[in-house]
Amino acid sequence: MSVRLLKYAFIEDHAEQPWFGTAGPLRDSYDVVIIGAGGHGLACAYYLAHDHGITNVAVLDRSYLGGGNTGRNTTIIRSNYLTPEGVAFYDASLALFRDLSLELDTNIFYSERGHYTLAHNESTLRTARWRAEVNKHFGIDSEVVDADAVGRAIPGIDLACGGNHAVEGALYHAPGAVARHDAVAWGYARQAVLRGVEIHQHTAVTAITTRGGRVSGVETNRGPVSAGCVLSAVAGETPRVLDMVGLTSPIEIFPLQACVTEPVKPWLDTIVVSGSLHLYVSQSARGEMVMGAALDPLEVHQRRSTFEFVSGLADQILDLFPAMATLKVNRQWAGMADMTPDFAPVMGTTPVDGFYLDAGWGTWGFKATPISGKTMAATIAAGRDHALVAPFNLRRFDDFRLVGEKGAAAIGH
Amino acid sequence: MKYAEFPHLGRRPYTEFAQAGVLEPEPDELAPEAVAPWVYARRSVPRERVEWWYHLPTRLWFRVRRDTASDTVLGVEAARGDER
Repeated sequence: MSVRLLKYAFIEDHAEQPWFGTAGPLRDSYDVVIIGAGGHGLACAYYLAHDHGITNVAVLDRSYLGGGNTGRNTTIIRSNYLTPEGVAFYDASLALFRDLSLELDTNIFYSERGHYTLAHNESTLRTARWRAEVNKHFGIDSEVVDADAVGRAIPGIDLACGGNHAVEGALYHAPGAVARHDAVAWGYARQAVLRGVEIHQHTAVTAITTRGGRVSGVETNRGPVSAGCVLSAVAGETPRVLDMVGLTSPIEIFPLQACVTEPVKPWLDTIVVSGSLHLYVSQSARGEMVMGAALDPLEVHQRRSTFEFVSGLADQILDLFPAMATLKVNRQWAGMADMTPDFAPVMGTTPVDGFYLDAGWGTWGFKATPISGKTMAATIAAGRDHALVAPFNLRRFDDFRLVGEKGAAAIGH
Repeated sequence: MKYAEFPHLGRRPYTEFAQAGVLEPEPDELAPEAVAPWVYARRSVPRERVEWWYHLPTRLWFRVRRDTASDTVLGVEAARGDER
C-alpha cells in the first residue's frame, strides 16, 4: 500500500487538491485565443507554451473543460489507417500517447489492448488486406488474421455471429489502445496552466472580429478580447464559428452515440470493431463495457441520446457476444461530430489571416489529440501549415484534392 | 421513436425514411470557380431547412421542412415529380 493511500485513512478531509486554480478576470488582450477547452484546444495551448514559449494564451469554453467530445468519445487509439497522410499523422499521435503520462505527470491509463476490425464477408476482408499492406509499408504493426485466430484471441465471441454473418477474419492492430479521456484533457490543462496559459470556462465566444482581412480578436459574454491569432477547436460547432468569420466548409454535424454497461470483472482485453454490424466494444479499466455504433442518420444540433440507438446496438452486439445479454446499460449519451466528405480533418491556416482551424474531427478525434495539438501549435507559431497538417487544409475542397481516408472511422461509412 | 404526419401515409416514424439531404436546386449555369463551392460548401448550423426524405416501403419522395436544433418536422409536402 502506498504511503499516500495510508495517509488518506487518517485524514479528516479527503478532498483532492484542485489541479489548477480558477482563472482570474479575462484580460483585454492575448497573443493567442483558443476557442474550445477540449483535448485538442488544451493540447495546442500546452504545446504553444512548452514547444514555442508562447504563454500569453487564453483557452475559452462556453461550458466546462473537457465536456464536449473529449468526454464523450470511446477512447480508442490506433494508427491502422488507409492513406499515407492518415498513417503518418496518426502514428505520430500514437508515439506521443505512449509517453504522455510521463510528459504530463498525469496517469492517463494508457493501455495497449490490440485492436480487431472484424470482417464478415469477402469484400471487408479484401479492404482489411489493403489496409494491412499500406500499414506495413509505413512500418505499422498491422496484419490480417483468420477466424480461428479471432476465436482464440477474443473470449466469448460467437464466430457464427448468430448464424447470419459469420466472422471470416479480421484486421489485427497490436498497438491499438485505450486511455482515460478526461485525464488527457486534465493533464494538458494542468501543464498548460503551470506554464502561464489561462483557461476561462463558461466564457462563450459570440463573434470574431477582423480588421482588413486579419483577425483582431473575439467578442465574448464577458467582454471583448483582442488577439492576433484565434484557433477554433470546437468539435460539433465548427460551422457556427465559421459563420462568425464568413467562411464555409463541407463540415456537416451528425450526432454520434455511445453507452456503457454496469461494471463487470475483466474478461475482454481486446478492442473489437465490426463495420458490418456497426459497432465497437472494449472494456474500460473500471470494468464497464464501452460500446458505440454508427452515426445517427440526420443532421441534429443537440446531444440527445435515443432508445433506437441502444436497442439497435444491443440487437447487433448480442449476435457477437451472446453472454452480454445479462448486462444492464448504465449510461448512454451523444456527442456532435464534424463530418467531412473525405473522413479526414480540416486543419491549419484559413483564408482569414490569423484564424486557424482544428476541425472536421468527425468520429476519429480523440486518438489525434496530442499530434493535432503539437502540429497546430507549430502552425500557429510559424504562421504556416506544419508538414503533417498541410494535406488537411480547408483549401483541398477548392482544388478537389480530397484525402479519401476510408480508414478514418472504424465504422460509419 | 419520432413521428411526423405525411401526405398519403399519415403518421409515420422517422426510421421508415432515408434522408437524402438538403434541397438545393442545381443552377442552370455554374462558373468554373463556383463549381467547388456548389459541390462542397455546407451551412450546418442549427436552422430550419427543407430536405428530401424517401419513404422506403412505398418509394414515395417528400419535401420535409425541419428544425435541425430541435429535430422537429415543421411541414411535409409530397414531391410533385417535376422538381430539380
